[in-house]
Order: sequence, then structure tokens, then C-alpha cells
Amino acid sequence: MSRNMHADMAAVDGRRRINMDKLMTVICFILLFIIVIIPIFMIIYNAFFFEGKFELDMFVTQLTDSKNLAAMWNTLKIALFATVFGTIMGVFYAWLLGRSDIPCKGLMRALFSIPYMFPPFLGAMAWDLLLNGRSGYLNRFLVSTFGLNGMPFNINSIAGIVFVEVSYYFPFVFMQVVSALERMDPTLEECARIAGAKQSTVIWKITLPLVKPAISAGALLILTTSLAHFGVPSILGYAQGIYTLPTRIYAVIYNSGGSFDGIRQGAALSVMLVVVVAIALVLQKKILSTGNYDIIKGKSMRPTLIKLRAAKYPLLLVAVFTLVLIVVVPLVMIVLISFIKAYGLPLKPGNFTTAQYVKVFKASGTMDSIRNSLFVSITAGVVCMFLGTLVAYVVQKIRPKGKEALEVISVLPYSIPGTVLSIGVILAWSGSLGIKLYNTIWIILVAYMARYLSFSMKTSSAALLQVHSSLEEAARVCGASHTESLSDVTLPLIRPAMVSGFFLIFLPAMREVTTSILLYGPYTRTLGVQIYSLRDAGMIPQAAALATVAIGIIMLLNAIVTQITKDKKGV
Amino acid sequence: MANVRFENITIKYGNHCVLKDFSLVVDSGQIMCLVGPSGCGKTTLVRALLGLNKPETGSIYVGDRCLYDAKKRVNVAAEKRNIGIVFQDYAVWPHMTVIENVSYPLKKQRRPKDEIKRRAMHALEQVHMVEYANHLPSQLSGGQQQRVAIARALVTDSDVVVMDEPITNLDAKLREEMLLEIRMIQKRLGATILYITHDQQSALQLCDKMAIMQQDGSLCQYGTDEDIIMRPANRFTFEFIGVSNFIPIVREGKELCLDCGEKIPYTANLPADCEGKEMGVRLNDVVFDRDSVLKAEVTSRIFLGSEYNYFLKLGGREIRVQQSMLDARTFGTVAEGEKVGIRFLNPHFYDRKEAAQ
Amino acid sequence: MADQIILRNVTKRFTTKTLGDIVAVDNFNLNVREGECFSFLGPSGCGKSTTLRMIAGFEDLTEGEIELCGRLVSSKKKNLYVPPEERGLGMVFQAFAVWPHMNVYENVAFPLRIQKINKTDIDKRVREALKHTSLTGLENVFPGDLSGGQQQRIALARAIVTNPKVMLLDEPLSNLDPKLRETMRFEIKALQRKFNFTIIFVTHDQSEAMAISDRMMVCDMGKIMQIDTPENLYNKPCNRFVHNFLGESTFISVIVKDGKVYAKGDMTQPLDLAIPQDAAQEMVVATRPNEIALTGVSDGGYKTHIEKRIFLTDRTEYLVPVGEQVVKIQTPHRVHFAEGEACCVRFLEPMWYPADDGKADQERARRQLV
Repeated sequence: MSRNMHADMAAVDGRRRINMDKLMTVICFILLFIIVIIPIFMIIYNAFFFEGKFELDMFVTQLTDSKNLAAMWNTLKIALFATVFGTIMGVFYAWLLGRSDIPCKGLMRALFSIPYMFPPFLGAMAWDLLLNGRSGYLNRFLVSTFGLNGMPFNINSIAGIVFVEVSYYFPFVFMQVVSALERMDPTLEECARIAGAKQSTVIWKITLPLVKPAISAGALLILTTSLAHFGVPSILGYAQGIYTLPTRIYAVIYNSGGSFDGIRQGAALSVMLVVVVAIALVLQKKILSTGNYDIIKGKSMRPTLIKLRAAKYPLLLVAVFTLVLIVVVPLVMIVLISFIKAYGLPLKPGNFTTAQYVKVFKASGTMDSIRNSLFVSITAGVVCMFLGTLVAYVVQKIRPKGKEALEVISVLPYSIPGTVLSIGVILAWSGSLGIKLYNTIWIILVAYMARYLSFSMKTSSAALLQVHSSLEEAARVCGASHTESLSDVTLPLIRPAMVSGFFLIFLPAMREVTTSILLYGPYTRTLGVQIYSLRDAGMIPQAAALATVAIGIIMLLNAIVTQITKDKKGV
Repeated sequence: MANVRFENITIKYGNHCVLKDFSLVVDSGQIMCLVGPSGCGKTTLVRALLGLNKPETGSIYVGDRCLYDAKKRVNVAAEKRNIGIVFQDYAVWPHMTVIENVSYPLKKQRRPKDEIKRRAMHALEQVHMVEYANHLPSQLSGGQQQRVAIARALVTDSDVVVMDEPITNLDAKLREEMLLEIRMIQKRLGATILYITHDQQSALQLCDKMAIMQQDGSLCQYGTDEDIIMRPANRFTFEFIGVSNFIPIVREGKELCLDCGEKIPYTANLPADCEGKEMGVRLNDVVFDRDSVLKAEVTSRIFLGSEYNYFLKLGGREIRVQQSMLDARTFGTVAEGEKVGIRFLNPHFYDRKEAAQ
Repeated sequence: MADQIILRNVTKRFTTKTLGDIVAVDNFNLNVREGECFSFLGPSGCGKSTTLRMIAGFEDLTEGEIELCGRLVSSKKKNLYVPPEERGLGMVFQAFAVWPHMNVYENVAFPLRIQKINKTDIDKRVREALKHTSLTGLENVFPGDLSGGQQQRIALARAIVTNPKVMLLDEPLSNLDPKLRETMRFEIKALQRKFNFTIIFVTHDQSEAMAISDRMMVCDMGKIMQIDTPENLYNKPCNRFVHNFLGESTFISVIVKDGKVYAKGDMTQPLDLAIPQDAAQEMVVATRPNEIALTGVSDGGYKTHIEKRIFLTDRTEYLVPVGEQVVKIQTPHRVHFAEGEACCVRFLEPMWYPADDGKADQERARRQLV
């Protein structure tokens, strides 16, 4: 019906309206073509074509290279283990906080979402400091306390990488499942009780199967993110020669000194990575489509909480321990190291100083990096906010032919690993098409826009769906022209969604490292890149100092966002 | 105030013809209820009146003013038609307060500020919402939101107010109250109201005139409530307007019989030309009569407060009966299992429906 | 017939952050007999659902005890609590609550599988339950592909498959459309006759409750107002709330002065009514729209005129001013008046209640917020 109604409106407004709609649609297609399609095309083209000729040799060489195969194997292993453990952990804590009577729920939920905003590569840094196989602080402490022969832990291993990724990625599952559990109709469980099933049977036979779609959605999010992840394996793996596909791509390009040949090799590897991710995505579609049912029915009722009785405090202890391990320990470690005189000195009061902060801010590039990050994040946020809303409006309200394509194109870059996207952007905007943005801040901006466009598109889309066509029509009938009905009714109604779309882009962009690590030039380091290179250059306490500053900024911004969204709730 | 005339309207969606050559007049200063099953095209018609869609042929007039004419190529823009509308889902703007919602149409007419304020408050008075003027719609109940929508439709003294299923989302008691209120407001202002609904009950409670539309988009009856109930034009109207018993009539030798599994002779009470037809009788037109030749057995009796409902077995056929309290008082009630004589008042005879239906 | 469900002094108190203590269920005492269809009827927030959930075992009691089929299942004093799965009940919920991840057959078989019954018996009983709920042939369909009515039938089949003695129905029909609601009502009654269980039926819809119940309990704001058969409740309501809640009511505010009764707003002509002994100065006279006689002026009564005539399928309704109020009268089509015509009304056998101070409505609104 609404389709018809829209056709109505177009017919009624005659030429004027059709032109305005067409204009918006054409703008959408052109912008998306430039931002998204060109880079993706360039990767595929360069992986298989050389100087205009089809050439498979390079691709085959890369595919059969034992180092690359090892990297692929590592990528798969890490992603698989991270997914399995992350899912188990996420589901367990979701159930504990969503359905049991464990105390301090509100506080714990807030703490459990911290890893969500905390950049994983900073966590990796912290754990490297603690459990480095040769010099980790905790390792040395354990050796000296218990008189051990060797270091008890080694974070620079596949297991270590998996551990750190799990602790940052389990919230994907946790948040999905908690909200599914909360919205689930409690009578679904109650009637199983009436049917004679014990509480434990109900959990296994009813609750878990019902939240399975949420679990698998979260699990596959972990899988795809881990497959494409750069930060953690690069920090923990390099030293031991453990490579994954994203770090391998970086290494290939880095070692070749940014030569075209290196980039082409990177493009070939990218195709491999994209294939792996694509398989995961297909898997996701398959699993989700078979079991997507509506479990949110009936009147809202507080679900009956399951009494843990004797297990209550032990479980609370486990939860608190987990929180300390994944949230508090890395945070404290980074802050402590940032105050140490030199890396390796014991953590004693006499060894503390604020000199690292002075040094890091005196160092060339630090202030620039903060400025760059702010500039790129804000610009990408603002541009995407409008562009995403435009795409959403075209898709939801104008509904031209090919709107599905529009939707897919705008979401596509997010499914593509950041490393791969960077290579595409390099290939597209390094002069081969007549535009040379390499080594400027603009190339990072273009990459961010492609990467984050889907965020604002999705939030605006959801908001526009809520704006029923009758609201706009009521304005028309009340005497408003079409443009007036847009500016008086539609835009004000989706403004909160646009603002939250901005922050959804701004916050992750501030801490981004995967994309910018391949794109930065001498004067265009971002905050993430600056921390990464300080650490790479062995200036660990300085890196920690800057990381502390970065964490401070992120937390501050998050607090501001929460405050703003709280105010908006009344609307 | 003015009347509304639809003349020979045809509207198509793609190849699907929703309305074909449709004509209808809404008298000035009256409430006209346009009733039909969902999907019959009544909303499409109203959208054409509002200027939200464009008919292929025909013309639409409000009073002497031509809003649309396919031949003369007249098509007044939606925002210039001066018609009030109340939608089913209220369509009050959630980001504006009640008073802002109601003032909006006046603002768009660029009226002076003090006039806007005065007229908006007056409209709110009409719907008893003055004390909520500064509330946001999210702080109001469904019924209150609908009052705001009504005030917004009335505020510009529109020539015509269209109401598209305005009470469907409200609960039963509130629905009745709102109907009464719409009626009273209409009387006070003398507005012309075109009221769209699929619910014949509420239409009957509200209307001066009623128009019934069939599934295929054609108008099947137009008249007063009494016309439509007492003299339904066809089987569609008869069935649409209330629940009935249907009994096929067959001929057995010389006798006309009711086909109830077994054939019951009933010639004396049937017109001669009804062979092969079906007799439709309303539930409240089946009355108990000890002297009747038709004897039925009571299978269940349900007390519903204002009436009794019975299920009877007449031969092999189930007959439903509604007995008003008045009749229950004069005749008395019958118990389950009892045999009782019945008589049919006001029977209507229609052709049999196809087997498929 | 023996009493199958007994509630003794059952009380439930909640503490809420916004409103403090709320007595959701205040000292309920009732006996439901074997084979009876017993309804809990009342507006939302009256305590009917809470009571049902206490019987099912989903809520603790604050005070009192509950006995099911001769067995004590909840008792605050003895600190006894039998969990829901051991109470041997059948239950159907408003939101259907059929498990979307199981097909129709598995949904119905679930209670039997829990009881570890052997496969052939399960199959036999599931097929029988499906037959009685007209679901045969849909065994392998998933609930998501079925209509609301069919989903509710699955819920019914699942409830009867264990052959419970007591069936709890929590607004089972309110998510269905009106026509289906009526059919399902008959189906539930037919199942009851066949399987012979006791029904507790919770609803806020009075016509549904009247149509289905042998006896019913009307409650309001956590208190039992009256327990009786539908006919007695309708004809002899114990207070104004029950009168108003069952069927359509007409209330006329009256003023008693010098042994005569006047409709509020019109002190010129008295109403012809006998005044009860304890009448205060301001009272409310209650009657039903179909228990008001509407006659020509010559027949006598309160003189007024027809404000509006509403012609409905099975009756005519007239709106008639009485004092400052407008009263609705229902008559058969044969009683015919034109709009504006003069007429007389008489109230047949009305009830008298004290004037309303509006406090109860405020309290009800407050409880809705919980």
C-alpha cells in the first residue's frame, strides 16, 4: 500500500517533484560510485590485471607462498577460537545479567560494555607489557615470587591473541543476547514450566534455542571482525613472526616501501581475505535466515528472574574477576607504564615520573595526530551523517528502481576489511585516475567515509521508517508545500537519529588504526597511528602516555554522548 | 460549508483498476459515512479528494470550486484544497506540542499571531483539550491524540472534514464516546464530514447518510440508515450490515420447502417465486412462537446481559437467534434441550452464492 | 461437586519505586468447583492476573494459602511452595506462547516428552489432541506460518494433551479478531465437555466472561466485588462498579427533595420513582438502556424529546435528554419516533447508588501506572 501511496504523491506533484526525487537519486548513485565502487573495482583490477593485460601469475604466486598460507591458516585459527570462546562468554554473561537475580546488574552492564568502546590494540599493548614472553611485568613478578624456571605465560602466541580478542569482542554476543532475552516474551518460558519442565530443562530446550538467532548474529560479527582485525595480531604477533592476513598485507606493503609492486601483492592478498570474509558472511545469511522468529510478543512483563540461591555469590565473584581481568588490569597497566621513567624498570614509586607526557607532547607529530584525528573524524561524521540520511531517504521514501543496489553498495565497505579498503583507496586515489590524494589527509577521509557510511545510513533509515507517510501527508493537507513538509516534519523527527549517527561514526573513527596505518603520510598520522608508531619505535612509556590521553578523550566523548542521548529521550 | 461531488472518478494502480466511473455526492452540513470492506477503494477515493493521488478521469468539486478535473486539466495542490483530515493513526506530529500541532495549518495560511492563538485555543476547547495545550503527543493517550487531530482538522474552518477510520485504534468504550463527541461537534459547527470506515456499527451510530461500497469498488447502496437496514439493495449489503441465518429453498412436488438436511414444507409463508433461492433472516428476526409449524430444538443458551443468544437445531441446520430482553420478558426464555416453535420475520430472498464462496 | 481450587486469605503486596506499597490482591477467598467454568473479571490492574499467576505458581503469596485438587500447593504459614511444573495444570496465555522453534507436533508433544512417556503413546495422544483442536494435517508446520487462531489452537492442544484437571486461561482470546473470538469460545466449551476439566478464565471483556462462565468473580483494585452466576451479577449487582462493568449501564444523577426525585439539572418535573429509605440528598439511579420505557406523551412519565435516533441492525437507539444528561434508550425497530419528537420516558426497576466522588477512578488510574 505505501508503495502505491508514494506513487500517488509523485503523480500528484507532477514534474517538479519528479525532478527533485530524480536529482537526489542521481546524487546518491554518483557519490556512492565514487566513494565505494571505484576502490573496490581497483583492487580486483590490480590483482588480476597488469598493465592492462589479464595476468594470473602474481595471484597464483601469492596464493601458493608458504608465508601467506601460514598467515591464512593463522587468521582462520584465531578467528575460529575467538568466535567460540567469545560466544560462550557472551552468552553466559548475558544470561547471568539478563535472567538471574545477581546483584549490581546496572553497574556490571555498564562495565561490560566498556570493552566495546576501548580500542583493542591498546588492550593488546597492555597485555604485552604484562605477559610478554620475555619481559612481561607480571611474568617477571611470578618468576621472582614463585622461583619459576621460565616465564609462565606468553601473550605473544596464537592463544594470547585469541585471549585479547575474546576479551574485546565478546560484548558483540553479550549485547545482542541480553537485549533478546529482555525482549523475549516470558510466557514462552512459563508455559514450558506449566508443561512440566524443570528450570534447567527450560533453559536448554526453550530459552537457548529461542535466542539462537541473536547468538549466531553476534558470533558471526565476532568472526568477521576477527578475520579482518589488524591491531591485536600486529602488536602481539610480530615479535614471534606470527602473521595473519591483515598484518601480512601491511608487512608486504611496508617492506616494499610502498612501491606499486608491493601494493599489487597486497591487492592479491586482499582478494584472498575478502573471499574468506565473504564465505563467513554467506554463512551468516544462511544461519540467520533459517531461524529468524519473532519472540517479542504480548504485553510487556517483567520476566521472572531465576534465583541463583547458593551460587549467587560465587558467580558474582566470577563476574567481578572477569571484569577486573579484561577491563581494569589493562587500563591500570597502561596508565602505570605511562608514568614509568623507562620501560623495564620495576613498578616502584621511585621510578615514576610525568616526564613521558612532556616528551610525548614535545615530540613532533603528537599534537598533529590529535588534530588530524579530530578533523578526519568530525568531517567524516558530518559528511556521512548527511550523505547517509540522503541515501536512507532515497531508499525508504523515494524507492527508485535499483534501491536494493543502493542499499547493498552503502553497506558493502563495512563488510570489507579495513586493510583491504585502504589498498583500494590507495589504488584509486594515487594518481592512476588522475587524482592524487596519497600522503594527504583527504585520502584517510575518503576511506573513513566509505567505511562508516553504513552506520549513519542504518540509523537514519530506521528513523525514517518510523516517520509514517501520514505525518507528511497531514502537513500537506494542512497547507504545507512538499519542501515545507520535509523541513517542518520529516527532518525534525529524524534529527536525533542523525545526531546519533554522527557519534556512531565519530567515536570509532577517533580510535581507528586498521585503515589509517596504510594511508598515513609524514604529516597525516592519526592518533591511533601515532601510538602505534611510538610503540613500534620502542618508546613504550611514551606510547602508553599517549594511549592514556586517547582513552581519556574517548571516555570523555562517550560521557558527553550518553548525556546528549539521555536528554533526547523525551522526544 | 459546502457539498462534495465526485463525478465519474476512475483510479488505477498500474493495471489494477481500484475505482471505475465512481460518482457520489456528500450533502452539505451532513455526516456521510462511506462504508465498505477493507481494500474496496474508499481510502483511495478520499486521497483523491485530498489531492494525494490523481484520478485518470472524472472531476471533484467542493461546492462550486473545482478541485480536480481530468478533462479541464485542473488539479489544485494538496496544500491549497482547504480540507481537514483525521487519519486512523492520528498523524499528530510528535515533535510539536498540542498547541503547535493545532496552530500549524493557520501558520501555513500566514495568519496574524494573535488570531492563530485565539483560533487554536478555540479548536482545543471544542475537543476539551485546553489543559493539554503544552503537552507533547507522547504524553497523551490514544483518544487524546485523536482529539488533537480533530482539533487540527477543524481549526481552519475547512469546507469539508474527512475522517479516515479515526476511532479504529481506540478501545470499545472510548470509541462510543468519541462518536458521540464527533456528532456533537459537527452539530455545533455544521461542518460537512465524510467519514470512512469498514465498521458498519459505528457508521450507523454516526451517519446522516450512508454509502456502501462493494469489494470491487462500486457503490452498491446510498441512503439513510433506515433504508439500508430495512431495504438492503442486494445480498452484499444485507450480509455486510449484520449477521444472518441463510436457508436454501427447494421445491418438493408442489410444496416449497426449507432445505435443512431434511426438507420442511413451508409454502404458506414463502412467496411463489423464491424456488432455488436462499432465505436470509437476521438473528433478531427469528422469534419464538408456540403455534408455529416450525419446531426447533435449543442446543445452547447464552446470557449476554442485554440479550439472550440461542443456538437451535432446525432439522439438521443450525439457526442462531438473538432474543432481546423485551421479548424475553414477554415470551419468557427457553432452556437448553427444549423444543420450541419459531417464526421468521422480514425474510429476504437472494440468489444462492456460488459453491466456491 | 467438590471444590477443586480453594483460595484462603490470599494476599499479594508489591513494593514499587514510584508508588510505594500496592496491595495487588487483598484477602481473596474463593472456591472453584470441579468441572466449573469460572471467570476472573475486572479492569486491568484489578488483581485478576496476579491471582491466576499465584495459582499457577509463578508468584509467591504474601499471605494465605492455595489448595489445588485437595493438595496444598502454596502456603505462607507452612512455607510451602510447589513449583509450577509439579502442579499438573494446563495453561493458555494471551500471547499464544507457542514455541516458534518447534513445529506444531513438537509443541504439543513437549509436555509428554518431559514426562518420558513412550513414543507410541506420545504419538497417539498428540494426534488425538490435534484432532480435537482441528489441527490435523498441520503437524509439520511451524507456528510462524500459522494464523493467530491456529496458534491459539496449538496452545490449547498443548494444554489438553496432558489431560490436566484444571485449565488456566489467561485472556486467551483477546489477541484474536472478534469473529474468531466467538468461534474459539465455543471450541473451548466443547473441549471442556469432552475432557471434563475445570476452567479458570481471566478476562477484562465482560461479554466474553458472561458468555462462557458458569460463575464469575468481579474484582476491582485488588478486592473481590462479587462472585455469582452471570445472570445474578447482571440483574443484582452489589454495587455501582459491578453494575457499570457488566453490560451497558445508564446512570442518572438525581436529587431527592421533599420526597420527590428530580434529575439533576431539571427541578421542574419529578421522576416517578420510589425512594429507598436510606437515600441521601444526592444519589445515582442506575438502569440499562433496554430497561427504559419510551412512550408517547399521552402515556405519562418524564416528558422530554428525541435528540437523536440511531438506527442499528437489530435495534433502534434513541438519545434523550433527562435533566442535564443525555440518556441512551434501546428499543426494537417497531418503536418509532422522529428526531425532535416529544416523548416520555420511565425507568423500570432501577437500582440506587450513592453519588460518585470520582476517587475510585483516580485510584484506578494510579494503579494502572504500576
